[in-house]
Amino acid sequence: MMALAVADTCFLINWLSFRRWEEIFRLFFRILLPSIMLPELRSQRVRGKIEELVYRGRLVILPRADYVDREALRIFNLVNSTPGLPRIDEPEAYGLAYAALHGLPFLTDNASPKVAARSVSSLRGVVVYDSLDLLMLLYRRSELRAAVEEFMSDTSVMFSRERLREAGVEL
Amino acid sequence: MSRREEVTRLAKLLGLELDVESYLKAVEECAKRLEETRELRRRSADWAYIESRPEPLKTALKLLVETGDVKLVSAVTGIPPETLECERIEARIPRLVV
Repeated sequence: MMALAVADTCFLINWLSFRRWEEIFRLFFRILLPSIMLPELRSQRVRGKIEELVYRGRLVILPRADYVDREALRIFNLVNSTPGLPRIDEPEAYGLAYAALHGLPFLTDNASPKVAARSVSSLRGVVVYDSLDLLMLLYRRSELRAAVEEFMSDTSVMFSRERLREAGVEL
Repeated sequence: MSRREEVTRLAKLLGLELDVESYLKAVEECAKRLEETRELRRRSADWAYIESRPEPLKTALKLLVETGDVKLVSAVTGIPPETLECERIEARIPRLVV
């Protein structure tokens, strides 16, 4: 089990909609959520779940720090200036920068952080996982296939043909 | 100026040490995989649900079908990303992970 991981808001919201969402804690003891992402969470349903996770010690809200902001801004500028890459927003860039600076995994379904992490030397310390990566870490073979189907049905997140092929999942 | 030169210049400007070749290759691969996602969103969306939503949600969901970018639509419409994510799931607008 990995101890900590930094999560993006959209990733967390989607993951909380998955019927097996609690299984993420088989991989990570604790999820870190940057405070800059908190204004994005407003509904009572999700806030209630977040508060419960904080109470159980499974989620920690990260304070904002200048040194992370500086790195986040550089990533933000690079990604958003590259045609062909999905946009990255400030909170997500902050989460990626925090993860990189502290050698932690970063959880997001946006492709851009993964692309940046492969090529920017200051991001080499970060491993970016998307939902399919986590499902692959959690399940094998037929159970993986079932979990992928359930995840797609619960969250309307779909995985590209190439990714499913790489994961050995045939739907 | 070529794309390679542009990215190299930008990385230098930002003080980032970047493997430009691998970056551009990964960007190209990513763009290729994302090419058909708009059509996929249009095909998969529950249009009856979208049309049934009050404004500004209805317009926001249509914008989401076109762009696939929850946070951009949130910034444009003022609807929180979390509300949009939940509405996206209800409206069966797929988010493609590549």
